[in-house]
Parts: sequence; C-alpha cells; structure tokens
Amino acid sequence: MSLQNLQSPFPVSSLSRRRMLQSLSSGFGYLAFSSLATLAAATDDRSLKDQTSPLQPKAPHLPAKAKRVIFLCMRGGPSHLDTFDYKPELEKLDGQAGRGRGRLMKSPWNFTQQKSGLWISELLPQIGRVSEELCLLRGMHTDLPVHPRAMNQLHTGNVQFIRPSLGAWTLYGLGTENENLPGFVTINPPAGSAAEYSSAFLPAIYSGTPVRSNNRPFGLAGGRSRPNRRSSGNSNSYPDISNPRLNDGQQRQQVDLIQSLNELQKQDDPQGTIDGVIESYELAFRMQTAVPDLMDLSQETEATLQMYGIGNGPSNNFGQQCLMARRFAEAGVRFVEISHNGWDTHNNMSNQLPNLCSQIDQPIAGLIKDLKQRGLLEETLVIWAGEFGRTPHAQNGNGRDHNNRGFTTWMAGGGVKGGFSYGETDETGGEAVVGKCHIHDWHATILRLLGFDHQQLTYRYAGRDFRLTDVYGNVAKEIIAG
Amino acid sequence: MKKIESKVSLLSGLALCLSWGFIASDHLCSQQMVEQDLADSIDPDQIEPDQVRFFESKIRPVLVKECYSCHSNEVGQVRGGLWLDTREAVLAGGDSGAAVVPFDVEASLLWNAINHIDYAMPPRKKLSDQVIEDFRTWIEMGAPDPRTNPQPSIKTTISAAEIEAGRQFWSFQAPLSVNVPTLDSTWPQTPIDQFVMEKWLVNGIETVGEATAETVLRRLCFDLIGLPPTDLQQRRFMRDWKRDPQSAIERQVDELLALPEFGERWGRHWLDAVRYAESSGREVNVTFPHAWRYRDYVIDSFRNDKPYDRFLLEQLAGDLLPVDSDQQWQQNLVATGFMALGPKVLNERNARQFQLDQIDEQIDVTTRVMLGVSVACARCHDHKTDPIPQSDYYALAGIFSGMTTHYGTSVNQQNRRTSKLIAIPGVDEAKLGQPISRTEMKELQSELAKMRDDVRDLTRQRNRDRNRSDTQALQRQIILLTNQIGSLQSMLDGYNRRGEPVAFCMGVQDASPTNQRILERGELNQPGEFVSRGFPQVLCSEPTKISRQSTGRLEFAQWVASPQNPLTARVMANRIWQHLMGHGLVRTADDFGATGDAPTHPELLDYLALKFVEQGWSTKQLIRSIVLSKTYRISSQHHEANFQIDPDNQLIWRREIKRLEAEAIRDAMLAISGNLDRQRPTGSLIAEAGDGRVRGNQIVGAQLKPTTVSTASTSATGRERVAQAVLGRISEGVIQPKVTSLDQVGNYRSIYLPVVRDNLHRILEVFDFADPSIVIPQRDTSNTPDQGLFFLNSEFAIAQADALANRLLDAEETLDRQVELAFQLTLGRSPTQPEREVIRQFVEQFEVHVADRGPRRGAEQRRRNVRNDGSNYFRRQSEPVDPAVTVARQREIQHKKLSAFCQAIMASAEFRYLK
Repeated sequence: MSLQNLQSPFPVSSLSRRRMLQSLSSGFGYLAFSSLATLAAATDDRSLKDQTSPLQPKAPHLPAKAKRVIFLCMRGGPSHLDTFDYKPELEKLDGQAGRGRGRLMKSPWNFTQQKSGLWISELLPQIGRVSEELCLLRGMHTDLPVHPRAMNQLHTGNVQFIRPSLGAWTLYGLGTENENLPGFVTINPPAGSAAEYSSAFLPAIYSGTPVRSNNRPFGLAGGRSRPNRRSSGNSNSYPDISNPRLNDGQQRQQVDLIQSLNELQKQDDPQGTIDGVIESYELAFRMQTAVPDLMDLSQETEATLQMYGIGNGPSNNFGQQCLMARRFAEAGVRFVEISHNGWDTHNNMSNQLPNLCSQIDQPIAGLIKDLKQRGLLEETLVIWAGEFGRTPHAQNGNGRDHNNRGFTTWMAGGGVKGGFSYGETDETGGEAVVGKCHIHDWHATILRLLGFDHQQLTYRYAGRDFRLTDVYGNVAKEIIAG
Repeated sequence: MKKIESKVSLLSGLALCLSWGFIASDHLCSQQMVEQDLADSIDPDQIEPDQVRFFESKIRPVLVKECYSCHSNEVGQVRGGLWLDTREAVLAGGDSGAAVVPFDVEASLLWNAINHIDYAMPPRKKLSDQVIEDFRTWIEMGAPDPRTNPQPSIKTTISAAEIEAGRQFWSFQAPLSVNVPTLDSTWPQTPIDQFVMEKWLVNGIETVGEATAETVLRRLCFDLIGLPPTDLQQRRFMRDWKRDPQSAIERQVDELLALPEFGERWGRHWLDAVRYAESSGREVNVTFPHAWRYRDYVIDSFRNDKPYDRFLLEQLAGDLLPVDSDQQWQQNLVATGFMALGPKVLNERNARQFQLDQIDEQIDVTTRVMLGVSVACARCHDHKTDPIPQSDYYALAGIFSGMTTHYGTSVNQQNRRTSKLIAIPGVDEAKLGQPISRTEMKELQSELAKMRDDVRDLTRQRNRDRNRSDTQALQRQIILLTNQIGSLQSMLDGYNRRGEPVAFCMGVQDASPTNQRILERGELNQPGEFVSRGFPQVLCSEPTKISRQSTGRLEFAQWVASPQNPLTARVMANRIWQHLMGHGLVRTADDFGATGDAPTHPELLDYLALKFVEQGWSTKQLIRSIVLSKTYRISSQHHEANFQIDPDNQLIWRREIKRLEAEAIRDAMLAISGNLDRQRPTGSLIAEAGDGRVRGNQIVGAQLKPTTVSTASTSATGRERVAQAVLGRISEGVIQPKVTSLDQVGNYRSIYLPVVRDNLHRILEVFDFADPSIVIPQRDTSNTPDQGLFFLNSEFAIAQADALANRLLDAEETLDRQVELAFQLTLGRSPTQPEREVIRQFVEQFEVHVADRGPRRGAEQRRRNVRNDGSNYFRRQSEPVDPAVTVARQREIQHKKLSAFCQAIMASAEFRYLK
C-alpha cells in the first residue's frame, strides 16, 4: 500500500513516536497508537520494527504461503454425500437398512470425474471446472451433531464456552496488512452468531467487524450508477460510516479543528494517547471513503460481475458477498468470512439441494478464478465448510439427518495441494475412517498453512495459556503443497 | 429480630409454582428427581436372577434394536436428551422427564411413548402388544436393570500435604496488620501515601508533581459519580482550593459520595463483574424482563453504602436470611438474581447437562468475583496450578445444586429450558402493568386450555400416522401453537387471580440438600463417588461444617462474607483501588491464585483490606480514604528517570491516564448538552418489551390482540375437521407479535440502557463495554477508528452537539464567551489563547448553507442573542452582507457553525481521557 495514504496533516516526528512506543509499553493508549502508527514507524525507523503492537504485521513461526483467509461458511450442515464425497458403494446399497433408522439413500445426483481427477457432483458444475485448485478433506468429523454447538466448534474449537474465533486468532497471529480497514471482517453474519466472530478474551481489537451487504438485485442490463456514498440507508452499510449532514469539505474542516485541538494538547501527553486519537481520526476519515468504496461493487466490470454470477439469478446474493470478500482480501483484510444459510436438508432434498447449490456454484467458482487471475490465490487460503455433514440414510422421504462422524470440507489456494483429496469415509459415507481430520486437526492445519505452530500460538487468560486447538490438533501435512 | 421460620416457609409457598406450558413444565422436577429415583429403584446388586433373565431376554433386545440408534451414548445420539443405554440414564430421563419411574407405569414416559399417547416411539411403527406388555411387567417389577456403568475411580493428584502447603500462599493467608511506615518526608498525608512513598524511596523514584485543581476536580467527579463537574461545582471548588486544597477536596468528596449518582457509577462496576444482562445470550437469545430489579438493587446498595459483607450475603443466600419487613424480604430475594443472570444455553436437550452447566457458571462467577480464585477450572480435572482438587469443585457443586434457579423465559420451540420466576412479596413500588378484568382473564384461560387441547390433538394425529400428506403442515402448526401457548401462558402468569399484575424477580430458592458425584472429565455419563458438600480446602483452616439438613448455601455465604476469609476483603479493596487508580494493586482482579499477578504493594493491600473490614465493610469509607490521599492527586506527567526505573508504573509514581468508560462518555455528553435525564426510569426497555426473542436490533415478543377472544367451536366430527378448525382459529388467535426496537432509548443515564447479550447498544459496544457473557475483570480501553466514526457521524453525537450549541447561544452573546462556556462544560477549564484562535478561524471559515426562509416564530425573543457589534465571526470576511438575511436565519447559521465546533470539542482526545 502507498505510504502517502498514511500521512496525516500533522506528521508525527520520529522522536515522539519512539517516546510513545516506550511509554506505551506500559499499557495506556497502547492499542490506540499501535493500531495506527505501526506501518509508518516500521518503514521509516527500522529499529523500531521489533516493538510489539497488536495489529502490526507479524511474521509467523514458519515459512508459509497463505497470508490471508476467505472462509465460506455453509450453515446447516451441507450434505457431503451429494456434493463432494462420491460413494459408488452407496448406490449399490440404496434402499437397504442403514445403521441408524431409515434406509440408505444413494445420491440422487450423478458424480463426474473432473480433469483434476476429483469426483464432483453434477450439482456443482462450475466448481467442478475449477477443481484443479481444490483440496478436498473427506475425512472430517466433529464432536456433536447439534447445530449451534458444532458451529461454535467450527469457529472456536470449543463446543460450549465463548472462545476466540479462528479469525481472531489469525489476526492476533499475523496483524493486519491494511491500516485503513478492520483486519477481520464478517459479511452478513446471522443474528445471534456474535460468539462466532468474537475475540472472547483476546483483546477486542481482534474481533470480527460485521459488515452488511444489502444484496439487492444488480441490474446488469444498465441502470447501474455509482451510489453516492453520502447517501445513507440504501447501500451496503458499516456503522456511522457517513455523515448525514456535512459534505466532504465541511467534514475535513471539522476534523482539522479536532486535530488542531488535539495537537495543542500534545505537550501534555506523556503516554501518547493523543497521538493515538489523532491517528484514529485520520483512519476514520479515510475509512469513510475506503470502506464504502470497497463495498461498492458497481466499479467492477461486467465480465467480473458475470464471473461471480451477480445479476438477477439465484446466485446474485452470494455472488455479491464473494466479490466483496475478494475486494476486502485484495485490500489487505486478513480474514474475511461470508455465510450461506439453509443447508439443513432434513427433507425435500431433491428440491432444496439444487437450489442451494445453484446459489453458490457460480460465485465460488468465480471467486477462485478471479483470485487466480489476479495472482492472489497462491497467498489466499479459501476455506469451504459447514458445521457437519449428513447421514447416508434417508430421513422424511428424501432428506438426510445430521452427521458429525463423517463429512467433507475443502480448501483452495494458500499453499494447499490442488486437485487433491485427503481422507475417506466408510463405504456409505457415514463415518470418517481414513485420514481422519477432527475440527481441532483442521484448525491446526489452517494455522500451519498460515505459518503457525498451533501449539505455539497462545494467549494467556485467567492464568492459563489458551490456544485455538486446546490440547488437541494434528496438522494434516499431506495436504500442504511441496 | 422477629421469628424467622414463619417468613421463610411462607416464602416458598408464595414463590408461585407457575407452570410454563406442559412441554416444559416438568423440567425442574426432572432435575430434582434424579437422586430420588435412584434411591427408589432396585439396586443393581440386589436384582433377582430371574429378573435379570427377564430383562436380558425381553427388554434389552428391544432397547438395542428399536431405541439405541437414537438414544444411546455409544451411537452418539441423544434425541430429546434421552439415553437409554444405562440404568442411570433411563431413570434420569431426557428433556421431558424420567423415562421410567420404577413401579409406576403411568408416570413412566417410556410407557407413554411406546403406547403412542403424547409421544410416539418408535416413531414409525408401534411395538407389538406383547412387547408393550413386557415393558409393563418390567416397570411394575421395579424396572430391574443390571446395566451399570463401571464407576470410575477418580484419584486426585493433589495431596493433603500440598493443600497444607498451598495454604501458605500469600493470598490464602489472613491479611497482616503492618505498622504504617514512618518516613522522613513531609509529602505523605495519609497512611496510603506512606506505603506508596516507602516503595519510591527504596527504588529511587522521584516524587512527581500534583495535578492541578481542575484536573483533581474532574477526576473526583468522574471517579465518584461518572459525570463531569458542573460550572457551579467548578467555581466553588476553585475558590475552596485557593484557601486549602485538602479541605476543598474533603468537602467535594463528601458531597459527591452523598449524591444518588454515586450508586449509578459504582453499581455499574459491580454489574460488570457479575456479568449483568437482560437476555440469555447464546443460541436462543431471549429476554430477562425482570433482571432490572437486580440492577436497581445493586445501585441502591451502593447508594446506601450497604456493608459489603451484607451485600454478598444477600446475593448468595438472600432467600435464607431472616427479615423484618416485606421491603427487606423483597430486597433479599432480588439480590439472589446474582445467581440467575448468567448466559444460558436454553436449547440444551439434556436437562441434567443444563443444570450442571448452570452450576458451573454460578461457581465460576461467584469464586472469581468474590474470592478472586477460579474454582471452575477444577470441573474436569484437578486445578493445574492452585491446590484445588477436582473433588473440591464437586463439594461446592453440591452446595450450588441445593437450590433451584429461577430466570423465567417463555416457552417457544427452541427454548427447552424455561423456569419459574419468584413472585415478589408485599407491595411492588414499581407498579408495572395494567390490571385486566376477570372476564378477560377467564376468556384467556379458556382460550389457553383450548390451545392446549388443540396442540395435544394435533400431536396425537401426527403421531398416529406420520405418512400423511399434511404432516409438515401439522408440524408447523404445532410449532406455531406451542409458541403461542408459551406467550399466552407467560402473559397470564403475570396476573394473580384477581387480574392484578404480579411482580416477579429472578433469583434462587433452597431445594433439598444434595451431594454431587464427582464426574470424570466433567462428563455427565462418567459419574464417580459422591462428594460431601464443602468449601475449597485450601481456603479453609478447619474442615467445613454443614449439617445434613442444610444445603450448605447459607454457611457458604457466611464463610465468603466473613472477616476471617483471607480473600474477600482483599479482592474488593483491590477492585476499588483499580477503579480509582487505573490498575489494581493486584493487576489480575479476578485471579489472586498462583497464576495471578502478585500484589505490587502487599502491605498496602492488607492495610486497605483490614481497614475495609474495620470500617464496617463500608465501600464509601474506603473510597473516601483513597481519594483523600496525596497518591490520588499525583500528576499523570511523564518523568524520564522514573520511567527508566519502572516503565510499567508498578510503583505508582504517576497517575495512569484513564479513558472514560462508554457510560461516562455518553452521560457526560448528555450532561453537557443539557439533555441528561437524571431520573431513574421505572423498569427498563426490556421490561416493557416483555418475554421475547432478540432479533437483530429488536425484541420480538407477543401481546394480546385488542379485540376480544375468538370463540370458535371445537365440536367437529372427524380428525381432519378438528385439524381444520384448529388451523382456522390459530390464524385468528388472541396473540399478535410485539416488536420493540432497542434503539428507542431515553436520555437517562447509561446504566439504564438495555443490556442485551450479543446485541449491545452501539455506544457501549464501541467503547469497550464489558461483554456480559463472560467474567471481565477489567474493561478494555481501546482507541479505534470506530470511535472516531462515532464522534464524527453518529446521530447521537450530532444531537448532543446541536443541543450544546443552543445552550451556548441561549447563555452567551459573544463567540468568545460561548467558547469559554463550552470549554468549561466539556473539559472543565478555560481555552488557551491558541485554542481560541483556531476556533475563531474555524467558525469564520466553516461554510454553512441555510435555506432562505422567512423569519420563524420566536425570532424576536432570540434577537437579543445576535451579535450586533458588526463583527463577522459568523461569516467569511469577503462575503457581502446580505441585508435580506433575517434574524432567524442568522441564528440558524450561528447554530450550525457552533454545533460543528461543539461536536469537535466533544470529539477531542481530552474529553475522552481523564488525566
């Protein structure tokens, strides 16, 4: 990013910055200052680079390709048996008694082997076409077949307590790449899911910032105009991001007044708090442009919008979120999560699942292609996961029940092997048997891909060193490329 | 003291045993019955051989074949929270109660289910008559069941000697009375100063200067009442200070301590510690409409300087204390809300798991907040660092399981774990709610009964044949109806038989004395031996004495609130110090154990703890002695030499700069703008919203439709027609949704803002409010761009700036004096010359656009406020004077310019930080 952007109208001298760093280590105004001035400090005064600060870009423990994460969270427990876990045996056993109640049910959809060698369901043709980038984890399992508990475990490793989210740990470990933006963004999280993006006992600065996209249909055939960022209430939103009264010029005058008042107090600012506030206003002022611009998809070309399936079709909604995720990732946000609801297919799967898949297929394929063509895929780890999978036996006619004992997630980019499949469930797909990967192992692997030894990434709280993987976790080394 | 027993026994009678809809009505019972049932059932060792044969040949094969796939630990399925693969699990039952009650077929839900009465198991087919008859035989012979879990033997790794050695740890020893050091210096004024300065001398710290009078006054006002000094207070304080600083401070402190606002400031600190909130949080976030009573209780306790030991006693065991009046009785009951306020996983399927998790939460908050130790660490294994064996946890869990926790919440499809509330005895001063007529009452009750019948009919229909074409429609109706029954029931429960509103509170009630089994790895299905009720051994010099008849809770409360407890007074003294000085003497306020920080000034901490007890556990007295010290008054200035010696300021050589908390920022903005409403609102927004679910920024509850009750007949023939009739009536119904926006808050003090878990008011969230879902020992003080955006763009900031601008225009005529007043109100000082200059420039240059409208009403009265000396503060110099500009328009221009300035001064760093 360009350093000019960081210039405040009141340049902070090297000397005062050093003094601040010293005094700030005692705690006060620490977050303040460090979240803002680090990049500048690190650049023009190398000796200060070792100073710790919560959001400073940090080198991980080990060499790694992935620098950031886009997490595609599929809520409800998507059926692995009808998407990514091809089970020819289940076809033969169709109709026979299963282990649980109900009869075994083959997937009503065909699987085809892609050029990559992976077998992908006909429900996801576009993803099939980019499957040379996909690394399937088909031996997943998790502790409980209960949505909220399993969703909590997927995000925090713990089924029960409030613990820091994967995104918060990532930001804690790596710091942020763009000081104009929050480091952990979650797009359209459902109500009541705050615990999934919370920093819990990690400093609040690592918690996810929820961002709302309005997902209105996007008129591809004209009528598209660049929204006025001053207009509030009708565009993608971030709290208090625009002033309902002042124009840019007026607000700049007002911010200058605030900064002048702050400057005049600086001689009486032993702990650097005022410098922190000064920088925070400059960032806030810049965010007013940066955040709505990032969230404004109308600047994208028609070809890009099409690639993501943005338009009036079923994929419009999720397509916009995927595109926004790419924009955030490209701008340096460390962890972006997007959510897709509705995968809890207890019945009527023959209608529901094609609908759900048509909503995500084009957008996800578009995201992977777009990241690739921009040269971002190699350093961006894309993760696709739900909280658990579904049973091989039928429920309520043609539905499937929750299954925590075997399911599939996948990753792409970020140093994983493409066109690769790791782990297996048993012949019917009910239970992971080979290359088993518990959520703790999955977390350990993600951290490893980001360059962390999951046992070393710890935080001290209530007298104990906590980690994302608690006392568990084995890295699935097999999936890491060369 | 009056007779105790009569009141206490009366109490349990008055605590209305409300039934919250039949789906959930048996939860509490099932929890309490577990131990009882185990006692009544046949001991596995005494089962007759032919009984074993009967079970093995007739019962076990059916359970394995028909039930285990959804109800066994081995398969990992716990439908309805019910396991059927061990004897204990069958007796404990699931969500709806005990599966089998030995000797009693009718009370056994398993019997109900296999006969497809209210439940239908197995769901798709009925067992043969012969098998059903076998189950009857089995239950009537006492349900002999040889399947037992091998009881794990759980050995502690902590020896008695280690516990004894652990007692030598500093914080587990009684506070020591140390002589106050005598120093050869004129600086110290109080013993606190002597203790602090002694460390300076030892470490070569130089004395820094004192803060200015303005700064001291600002500290006092924010620290004690959470509001900025008024201009009147400032003028008087400055005058007094010139005469004698010490007496000026004393006078000011005594005045502030006596203000009602003191309770609002210090009550909030306590509410932080005890994770106060008005909703359950977690997966099914529903409201706690009665939580506010506990909030008000805490505020009043601090206002009235209730002795801290008494304060703790009431919160832990208020329901067990003798009382002299209804009012005191009310207070004591409301105080136990402390136990009931925690976050809850209300969709937990397993009742017993829910109870254990709730006890764990209660133990965690109690021990960390009151004792500064984390006992909950020992739930699954011996404490890793402190000598607290796992059995100590279960000894305490035994005490906590000897009570029922009452938090209310209404039945809905997700909420599997509702509870009763406690009816408040005597007259409720809040007088919430309107009475309803007896006729309406009766109509609603019959409507409720009808709805109950309907849901039962629909359920039976569904169970009879699950392959009907309209099964899903039926299921939806059952859900809808269940939710409506829950809402209507909870509304009706809010009235007594005369239709008068009943006042409730959250809290706890005593249950029968119980010992808990130790659970291997804390897992419910791994029970070990029983552990006698008791307190953590390392904190007790003598073994705990709890009589067999007592649950032990009162004894526990008395032990916590005792002057002999080595931790209680220290922990609170430390909290008070932390709130005033920025850091605690022990910086980990909730961890005085081995992993916590050691005290920076152990002698001072003990001195404060002892003094606290000596002065009758008076919070105000302890605060007073700290703020009257010279240590409180030292400057926040940097000092390079001192910094080199002690960069972390552990020796308190300078005052920590504190960022104001969210509440102080909001309250101060309201006070400055003149919009602050100092009256305590009755109840809270959540009380108004009533029982409901948190949906985004709204509470969605239920209310009665204004029209009268529908009286559709149920006398239809044929099952299908019954269903049709029911569906028809539901769509009419007596209940409609009630939506309450969480943004509709008044300008009352921030402590009265709704505290909804996972959905905090924006200003609270932005300024690091303590997350009420976990115990937060000290709030964050972040400085984020979101805070900048809040000051720049939020409606609230703009509204306060507008109001302040009006206040300035009304009070003063010249810009100079308006700026002077703004500085006094906002920052408690006069502006400097350079500040005046930049503001003057800003006001001149700031361009405003005002529509050209005719003069408004009231313009004449405002004319006097307009500068008439011809100066052009409010216009660009180059602009030609437009004679058409009306007076009103002139005021509007002035107001816009001043408002922009007012917003800026409140947005300045100085406003947010207390030097």
